[in-house]
Amino acid sequence: MEIRSIQQTGVVESNKVLKNTYMLLSMTLLFSALMAGVSMVLAVPPMFSMVSSIAAIALIWFVLPRTEESSAGIGVVFAITGLLGFGLGPMLSMYLALPNGPQLIATAMGGTGVIFLGLSGYALVSRKDFTFLGGFLMVGLLVAFGAMILNIFLQIPAMHLALSAAIIVIMSGFILFDTSRIVNGGETNYVRATISLYLNIYNIFVSLLQILGIMGSDE
Amino acid sequence: MGDISWVNIIWAGIMVFFIIRLWPNAKQWIKHGPKGDSNDWTTFIVLIGGVGLFIAFLIYSVRG
Repeated sequence: MEIRSIQQTGVVESNKVLKNTYMLLSMTLLFSALMAGVSMVLAVPPMFSMVSSIAAIALIWFVLPRTEESSAGIGVVFAITGLLGFGLGPMLSMYLALPNGPQLIATAMGGTGVIFLGLSGYALVSRKDFTFLGGFLMVGLLVAFGAMILNIFLQIPAMHLALSAAIIVIMSGFILFDTSRIVNGGETNYVRATISLYLNIYNIFVSLLQILGIMGSDE
Repeated sequence: MGDISWVNIIWAGIMVFFIIRLWPNAKQWIKHGPKGDSNDWTTFIVLIGGVGLFIAFLIYSVRG
């Protein structure tokens, strides 16, 4: 009887984390889109994209771990997602200037939504434990970073395309991993969970847009 | 090799920093993380295969 009560408490707790995570995630995605719009209207130069991305990375690594247990963490999450959204502006403006640019952006956005909802929904409904992917995904991410460094100097378009595809595979795995950690009680902090899922979505969107941009043109 | 600007060098530096920061975490997961059985991996491969097919469909749709 007592064991059942503890199990029920655990389920209630993970459902609460999940609800808060999805709520904060939807708000941060909207805020991010708004900031991307602001960045496009202001026509900020591409340099701002790098500066805001670096500022967001600094917040993720140095500020978020200190604030994630308090209400200040929510403000930091909005700052991070706002900066990343703002940084997307120049890239979106560049794609919008293409003849089929609006279609590419809409397809990448819709595609990202379908991938996220499909994978996260599967992990949610099946309650399957995907934490076994942890080692594989971490190593995959490190290899991808190594290859990105190499391609910064080699600048091979086919490698860029392959890396975008690899990032989508890795981030898709992270959606399963992160969602299953929330569902199975491995992640109890919704601020941290929101940032993890946001970064998965952000990276899938950017990589998908790049793939569609390359493959969608006849040149 | 193409043109290497200082922006690219900054990005490369950030990537190196990423690798250094993530390496201990990755080592921890490889050594002590849970291991999946063949059934778990099959599920993962099927799901990723679905994502791949979906992306192929998106590429096909934008090419018209």
